[in-house]
Amino acid sequence: MHEFSIASEIVRTVLDATEKNGGKKVLSIQLEIGELALLNVEQVTFWIHELFKGSVAEGAKVKVKTIKARIKCESCGYKGGISLDRQDPFRHVIPYSCPQCGSFQVKIKKGQECILQKIQAIKE
Amino acid sequence: MKIIKSRGPEIFDIELEKDLLAKNRNLAKENRKRFDRTNILAIDIMGSIGSGKTSLIKAILKRLGMGKEVAVIAGDLTTTIDAERIEAEGARVIQVNTGKECHLDAHLVRRALKEIKLDGVKLLFIENVGNLICPGEFPLGAHKRLVVTSVTEGPYTLIKHPYIFREADVIVLNKIDLAKAMKVNPSQMERDARKINPHVPFIKTNAVKGIGIPKVIGALGLKL
Repeated sequence: MHEFSIASEIVRTVLDATEKNGGKKVLSIQLEIGELALLNVEQVTFWIHELFKGSVAEGAKVKVKTIKARIKCESCGYKGGISLDRQDPFRHVIPYSCPQCGSFQVKIKKGQECILQKIQAIKE
Repeated sequence: MKIIKSRGPEIFDIELEKDLLAKNRNLAKENRKRFDRTNILAIDIMGSIGSGKTSLIKAILKRLGMGKEVAVIAGDLTTTIDAERIEAEGARVIQVNTGKECHLDAHLVRRALKEIKLDGVKLLFIENVGNLICPGEFPLGAHKRLVVTSVTEGPYTLIKHPYIFREADVIVLNKIDLAKAMKVNPSQMERDARKINPHVPFIKTNAVKGIGIPKVIGALGLKL
């Protein structure tokens, strides 16, 4: 739902960091997006490519790595992953329950991030 | 003779490891510190379009009668309709227009805090943009988060949007007077709420008539 604003933030950060480090052209950027983040990866990358146009990052590759979800169950103490049906378009809004005891009292430890990991650029 | 040889392009990595969602979380923490420093209790009011967020705030203000001790940040896309409705209750109001954005973020709240006179203010309501998805992922720094849903949205809102209801400290089911006409069973919705968020106070209201408002005030830890 807020893919455009996140993409704008990523583009701004990439262009700032590239300029500060004396980069003349961006070759690629590496993102890590949690599978529970309410972000559609396809929309995010689409907007990044669009917003890169006309800048030193035009045409740069956008690589996205998915961060698997990890939870801690408050009821039974389970720590680990959850099973998500990747085909289900509503998987992000389905309540996350403990795969061991079914409780909804779970704390998400990992999987909600949107990290700009690194930028690969050319220095002249 | 000194020869300067041209070098090929030098490729390098800029390591950032920057979590862009963390930026909002950190700003939210700063907002929280700002509230705590000046003893302001901040409450984020979330809910879908037309669920009764503004009506609920109006009803609470009417009941509390705190006048200018209450400030309200009203978030909306483009209009000032909600801000004007709330202003009529005597509170200090500032409108934040997000333009195209579907949620308030901690940065917009921080900007609003700079524009509003907060001396003497004890209570702050932040009315989020009508939406049941995005605001859940953007904490603002409020002490409590209240989600309003209404029977006119149908019986499945809680089950369909568990994410935001799980984040809630108080859930309000509004327009309870219309439940029968809408063929909605409020008890079933309460059971749905308990499944997602077992200990959350679930309060039925008719905000326009002021029904259930004292309970909401109590659940928010406010005193009449």
